[in-house]
Amino acid sequence: MSGQKKKNFQIEAFKHRVMVDPKYAEKTWKILEHAIQEIYNHNASGLSFEELYRNAYNMVLHKFGEKLYSGLVTTMTSHLSDISKSIEAAQGELFLEELNRKWLDHNKALQMIRDILMYMDRTFIPSTHKTPVHELGLNLWRDVVIHSSKTQIRLQDTLLELVHRERNGEVINRGLMRSIIKMLMDLGSSVYQDDFEQHFLEVSANFYGLESQQYIESCDCGDYLKKAERRLNEEMERVSHYLDARSLEKITNVVEKEMIENHMHRLVHMENSGLVNMLVNDKYDDLGRKYNLFRRVANGGLLIVRDVMTSYIRDTGKQLVTDPERLKDPVDFVQRLLDLKDKYDKIISLAFNNDKTFQNALNSSFEYFINLNARSPEFISLFVDDKLRKGLKGVSEEDVEVVLDKVMMLFRYLQEKDVFEKYYKQHLAKRLLAGKTVSDDAERSLIVKLKTECGYQFTSKLEGMFTDMKTSQDTMQGFHESLGAELGDSPSLTVQVLTTGSWPTQPSATCNLPAEILGVCEKFRSYYLGTHTGRRLSWQTNMGTADLKAIFGKGQKHELNVSTYQMCVLMLFNNADRLSYKEIEQATEIPASDLKRCLQSLACARVKSVLRKEPIGRDIAEDDNFSVNDKFSSKLYKVRISTVAAQRESEPENQETRQRVEEDRKPQIEAAIVRIMKSRRVLDHNNIVAEVIKQLQSRFLPNPVVIKKRIESLIEREFLERDKNDRKLYRYLA
Amino acid sequence: MSPTRHNNNLPNPNSWTISTDLDGMDLDPSDFGSSIPLKKVPNGDVFEASRAGDVDRLKYLLESGVNVNARDQWDSVALYYACLAGHLDAARMLLESGAICSEHTFDGDRCHYAALNLKVRKLLKAFEARPPPLGPLQAALRDTFLACAGNREYSDHPDYGVSSNGGSSSYHFPPDVVFVVQGSPIEAHRVILSARSPFFKRKFETDWKDRKEVRFAREKLSYTALYSLIHFFYSDRLEIAVDDMEDLVRICKVCKCDSLQRILEKELIHQKFAEYKALRDVDNSQKRFILQGLSLPEEDRLPAALHQILQISLANSTREHNQDNNVEELSYNVGAMQINDVVDDLADVCVRVDKNIFRCHQVVLASRSEYFRARLSRMKDFYEGKDALPVDALPCLDEHDLRTEAFEKMIEYMYTDGLKDIDPDQAEEMFDAASRYLLFPLKRAVADVLLPHLEMASPAELCHWLILSDMYGVFKIREYCLDTIACNFETFADTLEFRAMLLTLPPPSGDSSLRTTAPSAPGAVVNTDQANLLDDLREKWLEAEAAELDKRDESALLFDKRLEMLVLVAEREKSDGAPADDIHDGCKSPVSPPTSFPMPSKQEERV
Repeated sequence: MSGQKKKNFQIEAFKHRVMVDPKYAEKTWKILEHAIQEIYNHNASGLSFEELYRNAYNMVLHKFGEKLYSGLVTTMTSHLSDISKSIEAAQGELFLEELNRKWLDHNKALQMIRDILMYMDRTFIPSTHKTPVHELGLNLWRDVVIHSSKTQIRLQDTLLELVHRERNGEVINRGLMRSIIKMLMDLGSSVYQDDFEQHFLEVSANFYGLESQQYIESCDCGDYLKKAERRLNEEMERVSHYLDARSLEKITNVVEKEMIENHMHRLVHMENSGLVNMLVNDKYDDLGRKYNLFRRVANGGLLIVRDVMTSYIRDTGKQLVTDPERLKDPVDFVQRLLDLKDKYDKIISLAFNNDKTFQNALNSSFEYFINLNARSPEFISLFVDDKLRKGLKGVSEEDVEVVLDKVMMLFRYLQEKDVFEKYYKQHLAKRLLAGKTVSDDAERSLIVKLKTECGYQFTSKLEGMFTDMKTSQDTMQGFHESLGAELGDSPSLTVQVLTTGSWPTQPSATCNLPAEILGVCEKFRSYYLGTHTGRRLSWQTNMGTADLKAIFGKGQKHELNVSTYQMCVLMLFNNADRLSYKEIEQATEIPASDLKRCLQSLACARVKSVLRKEPIGRDIAEDDNFSVNDKFSSKLYKVRISTVAAQRESEPENQETRQRVEEDRKPQIEAAIVRIMKSRRVLDHNNIVAEVIKQLQSRFLPNPVVIKKRIESLIEREFLERDKNDRKLYRYLA
Repeated sequence: MSPTRHNNNLPNPNSWTISTDLDGMDLDPSDFGSSIPLKKVPNGDVFEASRAGDVDRLKYLLESGVNVNARDQWDSVALYYACLAGHLDAARMLLESGAICSEHTFDGDRCHYAALNLKVRKLLKAFEARPPPLGPLQAALRDTFLACAGNREYSDHPDYGVSSNGGSSSYHFPPDVVFVVQGSPIEAHRVILSARSPFFKRKFETDWKDRKEVRFAREKLSYTALYSLIHFFYSDRLEIAVDDMEDLVRICKVCKCDSLQRILEKELIHQKFAEYKALRDVDNSQKRFILQGLSLPEEDRLPAALHQILQISLANSTREHNQDNNVEELSYNVGAMQINDVVDDLADVCVRVDKNIFRCHQVVLASRSEYFRARLSRMKDFYEGKDALPVDALPCLDEHDLRTEAFEKMIEYMYTDGLKDIDPDQAEEMFDAASRYLLFPLKRAVADVLLPHLEMASPAELCHWLILSDMYGVFKIREYCLDTIACNFETFADTLEFRAMLLTLPPPSGDSSLRTTAPSAPGAVVNTDQANLLDDLREKWLEAEAAELDKRDESALLFDKRLEMLVLVAEREKSDGAPADDIHDGCKSPVSPPTSFPMPSKQEERV
């Protein structure tokens, strides 16, 4: 054996270590085992990390990794079973604390062991696909301590018991709870789920099932919701304090299901405190709570709330619009509608989080019941009229806008927008001619709104009316400038030239004007036709007003503001003291109904009647006689004699307007039919009707029967023909 | 899985050696070959070699340390030429040496535009997505820097944040100084900053000596620029938005980082002209500039800077063998003395090895070695942490079983990534130290130094190295030894030491399912660490010697029998003790085993 070679071939290299000692591995392991024990006994301060690490390193280096690893597993397992026993021995309350303390100890020890065995952890374990030390420690803890037959159930029960006690209002040690739950999570999410979460959810479901049953028997809806909300918040708080964040959804689902979903219908329909009651009493808090809780229920929680609300609004609205009492006062009627709308808008914005679906439900309900009353368009127009005549005096511009916006909102709900247009035109004409508009800005602003809502054609005539007023002013100025000298002291005349078509003209019932006026009128006519050739002027005496200066019996001077008809009547008394009805009718040729109304306003007013009627009575009869009331008195110099003009249309007038609307609709329907057929050439009846309705619904809802009539009329006029084979098909000619 | 699983036999993912798997790239190995014979430019520079695709020349140039990111007189980098000409293998070699191909950089964008075909572009993309190639030292320090809580927020590169030390250690080494600039913190370590910048060194010796936090109130000081600079101090890689470069130049001026400042100024001028050349629509705020440490003069790079620090520390370390003194007393005296007298090395820990005390820096030790990281931070409960140290003395670590020379080499490597003058005799100690302190890159470095020596080694020595490399998991050496033994099996079979070694090895696995009779695919990763040495040897031998495919099983059987026989011989030798000489003598004559059993060889088969 050559010494030289032997030296080169020295596996036990340069130091004192190793193979020479066959018991080397055993000895080293004893040292390490002892160290692990000392670490678990909190005696580590006597151990040298450097030495232990070196020993562990050498063991692995010399291929004793397997021995080291299995030794570690055995030692740790035996330690953990000791720990497990001591935990099991802990009594009552101390159980969790003991467990927690041991867990913290184990964690610390595990860290130290891992540091000592770092070399094994970094080389031997990855190459042999073993479990790393830290994970191994956790797994052993799980298997030996947590899943030991006695501890597993006990731990579970203790935790659930604590949760239960906290739910019943007791104060528990949340810190301890948190660290125990954290331990379960550290051991792997499946441990947390299987050993705690799953049971926790079951127990919670039972608990809340019972509790909700109890509450719903004893509480009203508001209280119940408060309790449910509090429970929900408690559970969320619990999760944030000591549970895994991933449990949040699961536990809230349980609470939602048990407390809300299972009792949903009962909560909504509860007597005296259900949804309807909340709506009636504007209980925003309760409604908000209900909304928030029901929103959590996945399928259709809000649907129920919405349906109940919708049907309730429809009921109340229907009651409102069909109540005959309400029909007497249109302004009040519309105001109530607006109030109703405001109420629910407020509920939706305060309690329902401005939920779009709720807004839609509200809108459709309004649309539904507003159109139940055929007079809604008229009333809305009257409401506007009222506001623009007087309601808006002294109100700031912003407030005017608010009112107008609200009106527009109601307008949007209307199906028969053309009816509204009709009425609006009439009312606007009266306002303009009588000079009663409070604010031009407000008028124009409303027209702009209508224009944006319905388009140009809807408002073109209304705008035409404004233009007429303006040009008339210019015309009158020109008239007075050119003929001012000639007119002398004849009555001053103000003429408004109205374009036919733009204005709602009634069949003009002319009357005999007094001679003084007639002269001036003729002068104007010749002036006007002189500047505008090819036009025709006709006098609308039923729409004018006049200011008369009158001296009564005791010399009282008054200026009387009267209508043109009234002026004609009064002028007659310049030449006579006493006139009979027949005489007046003959002299003026005012239509009977108008004359009666005009006389009524002159003679039958309770205090300030200008004429005296014989016999005295409220109604005008054909054989009545009239004379000037010398005793007329008034504190004011200017006296306005109001016409007894029904604001609301009388029944026959209403019928008439209806009829005119229907007449106006005919050409529109026909135009729509022709437009459709022109593009489609051939179409069957049902489709035509559907398309026509679609095209016109922004203005009104055409009646299919009317459409059919229009089609027939068009066939007669040879715009369309029926298909020869299929009688249902129409064909476009021309 | 943590990347360190294969640390002892595979290249560390951060160390950036050539690896065969290019994830996410469907390039065949055949793509890298060239269909036409390439021109050779034996005297060309790096640009010519890249343009010609002369891989050999390029390899030589790169190994000689040429700056891979330098531009020539036409403003082009070597990678640009390789991409333009479509030389995939040359481009890949450049990229692996750290050529910059990142988007929004001047050179990177040019390379992308110039790429000849889709394959080149794919290659560029694949490299762009990878972490930047850094040396082990730079990578380790960068991880330490990025792991500091205050710095993590700013770092928008998620892949940088992943600790290269594996998932198990989420722990990081805490900073010892915090700068607050424009309200945002930058956490750093004094020694690194001092090593890189004379300005910081002076400040830490004077004004900031005892301060943990330094607040900069000046509005003009840009946070991003300073962050980039400090990141550069740690990683030798500067990445900065072009918009911030002027700020950085000013900071460099203050910090006296002259060479960096010069490069930046040059680059700034270049950027101005580059606007005419680059695409117009590139938003200026997106433009970046990336600088690799390679572009700096060697003395200004991170290893050189830390080397300097190390030299100062070593000079201050006591090397006297005060045998008479009680060891405890010594450390205290020394500690007290050092604190009072010397401050310019910024050392914050002592390591006592074999009665010598080394003054070191915690951040370097902790960044490089997980062992030291644990040792420096978690010793409270062990003996080492028992006695609270005097406030003014440095903590002292005792390391046993280690020789001073080995430790010196090791810390030199830890500080500089460099390994000089390794004696083959020292290699074993170095392997031991590298394993023990979990310095896996060091093992490879030692192996690289050792490998040339092995060519001259005797069979006995090779056996020795085989055992050692198997023990320490030095893949490269182990492969080399196995290859040599497999190719010269009969020569080894004749050596006494080889036979003696056989006895110490675990027997080859009897499980035939583990034997692969088919030749393993070249380059396939075999998990050799747990593999049996003899199994591997058989594989190698089969590769080298075995017959055609269908005869492999027979050949394997022959090999097994031969091994058994050798083991028998070895056992007999061992029990006899003396007869070793006989066998040894027999070496000179052809082998005559007890039963004549000629080994089949390829030559024989063919006859």
